[in-house]
Amino acid sequence: MKRINPAVKFVCLLVLTFVLAFRHQPIINFAFFALCVVGILSSGTGVKKLLILLSPILLAAVGMFFTGYRFSAGGGMPVNTGTMILTSSHVWNGLIHASRVLAFAGGGYLYCLTTDRVLMIRSFQRQFHLPQIFAYGLLAAWGVFPHMMQEYRRTRAAFRARGKNPFPVSPAFLKPLLVKSVRWSEALAVAMESKGFDGHEKRSEFEPVRVHWFDWLFCAVCAALCVVMLIAF
Amino acid sequence: MSIQFEGVSFSYFEDGKDTIHDFSTAFDAGRISVLTGVSGCGKSTLLYLAAGLYPRNGGVLRAGKNLVEGQDVGALSPAERCRLVSMMFQNPELQFCMDTVRNELIFCLENLCTPPEQVEQEMDQALDFCGISHLKHRTLVSLSGGEKQKVMLACLVLIRPKWLLLDEPFANIDNASAAAIAARLRQLHEEQGMGILAVDHRLNHWIGTADTLYFFRDGAIAPETMDLHHPDPARLEQAGVIAPGVSYAPNLAPAEPGDVVLELKKLTVRYGDRAVLDGVDAAFRRGLIYAVVGESGCGKSTLFNALAGVCRYSGSALLDGVELRKQKKKHLGRIGFVTQSPQDQFIGGTVRQEITASLRENADAGSEEILRGIHLWRYRDVSPYLLSQGQQRRLGVAALMAYDCRVLVCDEPTYAQDRANTMAVMDELCRAARSRHAALIFSTHDRQLAEDYGDVVLHLEGGKLHEADQSRS
Repeated sequence: MKRINPAVKFVCLLVLTFVLAFRHQPIINFAFFALCVVGILSSGTGVKKLLILLSPILLAAVGMFFTGYRFSAGGGMPVNTGTMILTSSHVWNGLIHASRVLAFAGGGYLYCLTTDRVLMIRSFQRQFHLPQIFAYGLLAAWGVFPHMMQEYRRTRAAFRARGKNPFPVSPAFLKPLLVKSVRWSEALAVAMESKGFDGHEKRSEFEPVRVHWFDWLFCAVCAALCVVMLIAF
Repeated sequence: MSIQFEGVSFSYFEDGKDTIHDFSTAFDAGRISVLTGVSGCGKSTLLYLAAGLYPRNGGVLRAGKNLVEGQDVGALSPAERCRLVSMMFQNPELQFCMDTVRNELIFCLENLCTPPEQVEQEMDQALDFCGISHLKHRTLVSLSGGEKQKVMLACLVLIRPKWLLLDEPFANIDNASAAAIAARLRQLHEEQGMGILAVDHRLNHWIGTADTLYFFRDGAIAPETMDLHHPDPARLEQAGVIAPGVSYAPNLAPAEPGDVVLELKKLTVRYGDRAVLDGVDAAFRRGLIYAVVGESGCGKSTLFNALAGVCRYSGSALLDGVELRKQKKKHLGRIGFVTQSPQDQFIGGTVRQEITASLRENADAGSEEILRGIHLWRYRDVSPYLLSQGQQRRLGVAALMAYDCRVLVCDEPTYAQDRANTMAVMDELCRAARSRHAALIFSTHDRQLAEDYGDVVLHLEGGKLHEADQSRS
């Protein structure tokens, strides 16, 4: 999965998710989620890491199950249960809701955990013609992100050094971070310009991100999956 | 071959006072030139103007022009300009936009429209020249300050500008890295004829490397210059420049060692598989000043970050016998932190709020007394971010000391300061620590500063702290 062109992968997963949105079959959703998990694990992500990352989604899925279970049609619900989500079966309705959470999250996780961010931006730049000023701006912002986390901890330490321990997302924490992020963005822009980056001028491209035969194969597999989802169930 | 300023007047604000007024001079590419002067005199501004980064990225050029090799740099596009003049910045953290060393170098080469088949070879040559081939695939965030500056030098080697401008390039890196970079700069100057103009307060690494020292005073270059192959220490001291072997001669009260207030036992911090701190054992006593020295990347900032709770550690750090991680809310603030940038410490919206945040009772009267004491009372309703750096430092220290602080931990408190400001900052910190009978722990790359101000000099090496010297305790 890591070798698939990020732009192709993005479009394919988006289309699959779109098709899933119109299907209300738990079996399709669970099968798609299982495929995503297999894709993630086969790309080198450890089981433990995946379980940790998935834990909030699993929790949300359980929550959605009980929501669907409790509020299914029949219990005085003024909803037509003919074709849409709510059916007369409590369990079935719960499964539809839970499996949709898993399927949509699975697609997102599959993309995030199997895509290199630099490769993704370069791919978007080449395949989607993303402007280079926007592409490199995004990359620079990503580079700053670890510093932001570090700065957040530093700001927290500064408060603790004065005997204060405000709420983690308090505006008091966020204000110094905002000031710093503006200064950082200025410094980064100047540094990039000093290295000859303009944002508009022509640049050469080392290792251009191309679409290969296996990317087309991935497209074909996804298209087949769409057909199966639409016809078989 | 020269950089020429002709009647340049520059201000950061439309209606503000000129930072540089009617400035004219020329720097010759045949000599490595270093420009020095007190903090805030406009040296860095001059460098940004020479690089064509101002007024394009800020400020107003009221009059005059600056020419590099006879060309108006402000009128060139960044790609054309970087071939003519490029810059190494003071802060190694904010110079890169990619994630790994390799990707950053590719970014530079792509900007220069280098043919793809030459990229790998040029990249390897530049890394080899800077002695950092082993860092090629490392992420930039995992590098130390010294390593980052070497990567920046590799970028500049790839760009090959005719003029290289350096804004305090050694401000936050260890001596070994600074010496290695200085030697490479000399090599670039001699072999490729690259013109070099640097701005610096510390001359340790320029002596023997650079040729001419210029003094920047009152918005103009002083007529007298100095040959940096034969420096005159007395004149350097007079000019407020930090030169090797010149003592800071602090006037501190004698140390009165008290009880152990902070004890580290097998303190370990790991980044991935690498143990940056590997079982540090140390005991810090009240009333003593501890200087921590060590090579770049040896873990000084990591040690301080662990004490500040910014990074996780194993082992134990006991403050008055209580684990730092388990300090009760009412005991928060017994350990204070002075960061490299004073802005990292600010928590209030105004100067006065900065002090009142530390005072538990009688905050109004107490804050007035403290602010008058540090000559900032007239700025009481101003945002602390608008103060000068020296004022910010004074405010930061005063705010911490207003609280019940028993240990003061300072990570490179004299970062990028001239000699006068370095002494002012250290005098203030040490006096505050002595008067409170607190333990002061500070890190520095300046060995002279460590020996002059530290009662105990600790050397951090191989992930462990060793006592290097005990001069006054």
